[in-house]
Amino acid sequence: MEEKTRNWYDRNHKIFLFIVLAFFVFCLVYLFIFQGKNGDIIYKDVSLTGGTTITIFDQNADINIIKEKLRERFEDINLRQISDFGTGKQKGFFVETGSDSEEIKKEIETIIGYELNEDNSSIEFTSSALSEGFYKQLRFAIMLSFIFMSIVVFIIFRSFVPSFAVILSAFADIVMTLVVVDIIGMKLSIAGIIAFLMLIGYSVDTDILLTSRLIKDNEGSLNSRIRGAFKTGITMTLTSIAAVLVSLIVVYNLSETLRQIFTIITIGLLFDILNTWITNTSLLKIYIERKERRK
Amino acid sequence: MKIGLRLWILIIILGLSLLAIKPSFGEGVVVKSVDKNSELFNLGLRGGDIIKSINGNDIENKEDYSEAVEKILGGELKRIDITTDKKEYTFLINESLPLAVDDIPSSRIKLGLDLKGGSRALVQPEGEISDSQLEDLIQISRNRFNVYGLSDINIRGIRDLNGNKFMLVEVAGATPDDLETLISQQGKFEAKIGNVSVFTGGSEDISDVCRNDANCAGIQSCSQSQEGAYFCNFAFAIYLTEESAKRHSEETLKVGVDSTGQYLTEKLYLYVDEVEVDSLLISSGLRGQVTTQISIQGSGSGATREDAFNNAKESMNRLQTILITGSLPYKLSIVKLDNISPNLGKDFTKYLLIAGALSILMVSLIVFVRYRKFKITLAVLLTSFSELIIILGFASLIGWNLDLPSIAGILATIGTGVDQQVVIIDEAKRKQEISVRQKLKKALFVIVSAYLTALVSLLPLYWAAAGLFKGFAFTTIVGITSGVLITRPAFVELVRRIEEKTD
Repeated sequence: MEEKTRNWYDRNHKIFLFIVLAFFVFCLVYLFIFQGKNGDIIYKDVSLTGGTTITIFDQNADINIIKEKLRERFEDINLRQISDFGTGKQKGFFVETGSDSEEIKKEIETIIGYELNEDNSSIEFTSSALSEGFYKQLRFAIMLSFIFMSIVVFIIFRSFVPSFAVILSAFADIVMTLVVVDIIGMKLSIAGIIAFLMLIGYSVDTDILLTSRLIKDNEGSLNSRIRGAFKTGITMTLTSIAAVLVSLIVVYNLSETLRQIFTIITIGLLFDILNTWITNTSLLKIYIERKERRK
Repeated sequence: MKIGLRLWILIIILGLSLLAIKPSFGEGVVVKSVDKNSELFNLGLRGGDIIKSINGNDIENKEDYSEAVEKILGGELKRIDITTDKKEYTFLINESLPLAVDDIPSSRIKLGLDLKGGSRALVQPEGEISDSQLEDLIQISRNRFNVYGLSDINIRGIRDLNGNKFMLVEVAGATPDDLETLISQQGKFEAKIGNVSVFTGGSEDISDVCRNDANCAGIQSCSQSQEGAYFCNFAFAIYLTEESAKRHSEETLKVGVDSTGQYLTEKLYLYVDEVEVDSLLISSGLRGQVTTQISIQGSGSGATREDAFNNAKESMNRLQTILITGSLPYKLSIVKLDNISPNLGKDFTKYLLIAGALSILMVSLIVFVRYRKFKITLAVLLTSFSELIIILGFASLIGWNLDLPSIAGILATIGTGVDQQVVIIDEAKRKQEISVRQKLKKALFVIVSAYLTALVSLLPLYWAAAGLFKGFAFTTIVGITSGVLITRPAFVELVRRIEEKTD
């Protein structure tokens, strides 16, 4: 039985690699087209474009009516309910718009019929100039992070192909996650971008484990080392996914910020399974087998 | 069981962390600030004192305090007894207590604004300014807030990756309605007779401003207009320096007396940031006189008498502040303003705890299913928990404010922490001919490599976005560093003991 699976894996792993790489290329093309259409590779929320977010604690307000009325004056309005995790009851709602905070605040006050103060609401405003600056800097920070990470990976493994495989699979994680985020229409906030940064850390973990097991160890066959690394790595990823998923469920209707962070990391971790155990593993396997043949 | 060095280090650090967090269960309210011009301050009450009772009513929390204070309000002179953890104070007062109080914190862990509520403003000066100019700006703003009566406030300069300079103002807890004006108003005060400037705000022209003294500052009268709105008038005395008083007298000489003979034909016009806020009649008796004392007047309006009264009081305070501190040297614009309700944070903290607990439970479950060993699962659980304590301890020690990004950072750390523990367990369990000790060395290689990549990828975030996400970078860096230096080595020792026993 063992022998059979091994052969099956040896015969087919390149096909898997091809499929994943093809998907990766598709994702790159998708992002390219997306960029052409929307001017950027993501949808941005008001924290990145400038505008106002108002959170109102009102258990009774009819959100649909408020949404309708606000739409009459503010085209870009985005409104969502906040509810209790335990009971599912409405706790309030939040409104996002690119407009000035005074304008939207007044309009909401007229609709709900009472004044907004610090007991019943939170108001966050970011000017568009500032948020544009933030976005540019965060993009730059992510690029820098990625470059730093790559340099460290090269220093650790001191060999081109294995290092490249690690970096490629981390990059693929980010690209694939971006595509899903775009497809589900999520508007990224600053926190969302931070989540991508967290993803770099999470995804490199398993790749480093895999690489060090495969090229630093000589005991057992290559496939058995892969199997060993897989067992460890998949436990790592599963514990992470479990922790993040549970947190996601708890905060789902409570905090937009955390919801976005946890959603992105969950998606990213799922892709990380693909990229670590197919992209990275197959590339390494091909590299090691070639090296051994040359000997 | 003999405890090795690595475990000892963990235990000691954990003890120190708990000491730093210092959970407390005391009752009372803690004084956050006392008005320096008040009698209570002169009697010796200071910020940090803990109020235990007022007029014989026990004070356990802020609600008790508000209740007790409400009874005092009422205009007449009343005797107040306050007992603090240090001594007893007895005094007479006819207005609200000159105090700001808060519940006693249950630990030294400080929550950020997005969790405990408050306001945050990011202010950008118009045009380029140097570092020392930014420092000046911060100094003047701080002074302005102090004079205004806001003490629980944090102001600092910030520079982002593009070299932009900002002033970050954070006010914890309840926020005054006019924070926005207070922060961004340049506050250029000017008093003119005709078109000639007589005196401006600041110590150059004004030697003293009367505040908190009912004899020379206060609300004079309130009245209702025919439309039903209320108006209250305030007045307070200011004292001009000799030079500006002379200027004042010279200018008054240039204007004539009006037909009634009571007043001069020109008024004294008051401008704030080039907008006229009031004009005062100058009595004819002042003509050509070098008077240093001048009364500044103004008014506030509102739908109710109370509103009008409070409005007038706020306006008076604002004007007094500007007159004392002078104007800010630069025009400012608020580029980010967040007012977070304290009610939001209460929920957050509760649900974050639930999320954290459930996450740890799930992770333990997976670890148990995978290894079927109670001891290993317990070791993972304990290690994750120690990591949390160490991060919180360190944050308490340096007074770091834990905001939402920081919490995300803690979660990320504990997540990667578990990952690395799995690596350690698996390395130790591998069927190899080498000793457990050597196997664990291999695990440490993976861990240190992962640590280094995470560390360098977090660094850029420290400076991006005006440092608003420093919290995330900081807690994560502290977490993973303490992981590599303290908890991981201890965990390695634990696993070695467990594995060597089973071997």
